[in-house]
Amino acid sequence: MNNIFIFKTNIQTQEDQGRVSVVLDSHDLINSWSVDKEDIDCVLRIVSDRITAEEIIFHINQVGYNCTELE
Amino acid sequence: MNERSFIFVPEMRTRDEHKETAIREQAMEMIVNEGFDGLSMQKLAKAANISPATIYIYYKNREDLLNQLFIEVHKTFSDLALKGFDPELSLEEGLWLQWKNRLRFIMEYPTYFQFFEQFRNSPLINHKDLKIAEFKENMKLFVINAIKRGEMSKMEPEIFWSLAYGSFYSLVKFHLQEKSMMGNDFKITDAKMKQVLKMVIKALKP
Repeated sequence: MNNIFIFKTNIQTQEDQGRVSVVLDSHDLINSWSVDKEDIDCVLRIVSDRITAEEIIFHINQVGYNCTELE
Repeated sequence: MNERSFIFVPEMRTRDEHKETAIREQAMEMIVNEGFDGLSMQKLAKAANISPATIYIYYKNREDLLNQLFIEVHKTFSDLALKGFDPELSLEEGLWLQWKNRLRFIMEYPTYFQFFEQFRNSPLINHKDLKIAEFKENMKLFVINAIKRGEMSKMEPEIFWSLAYGSFYSLVKFHLQEKSMMGNDFKITDAKMKQVLKMVIKALKP
């Protein structure tokens, strides 16, 4: 069963997206992901079976971006 | 006194068909009334009384939302338009059925129709992603058969459409406006459609 995680970030530009793609594309547990750069919350959407929100937040923070679960 | 332990279950985001339909209908109304540019995920969330996060469960972004709406609308249109339809029908019978079926779609799904008109030819729609092949195939075969039978000559699709469907949609527009270009009250009827169809068939004859 696929879970969908939604985060508010500051991944605003194509370059920003490029930087996080390095970490997200290579992660085994992530099935797919996308960033809505048009949206005011720069929403990061992740589809995964088994990952946790904490893990995602950790990885995104690691490459230098904010990441909090969107309410 | 018993000790109770509270276990926190992190809220799992899962899909819910009712919510999905509610979001879709709200989005459709907003787009039809305010246009695509006026639509934002936040605005939609407020109007539907849900959190923006909930919308993102179903749609990656605005374009994704628009494309999924179009798929839904086209499916409804196609299902209705193809009801009882057979590409082997004569030109007159086939067109009559198409007109009647499409009129039903327009009457039963007015918002869908408005949306369809607005985005049919929009660059925002990724047409190659859409499953509109079945409908297009049927329409193509229908015309090929009519040409084979000598009911119409070969012609560019746009020319054919202008006569075979453009005429019909003109009547529809008058009906929806309730007035014609003459300023007269207008209501579409079977008799009027039949009158136009007879002339269209004549016009298409080789």
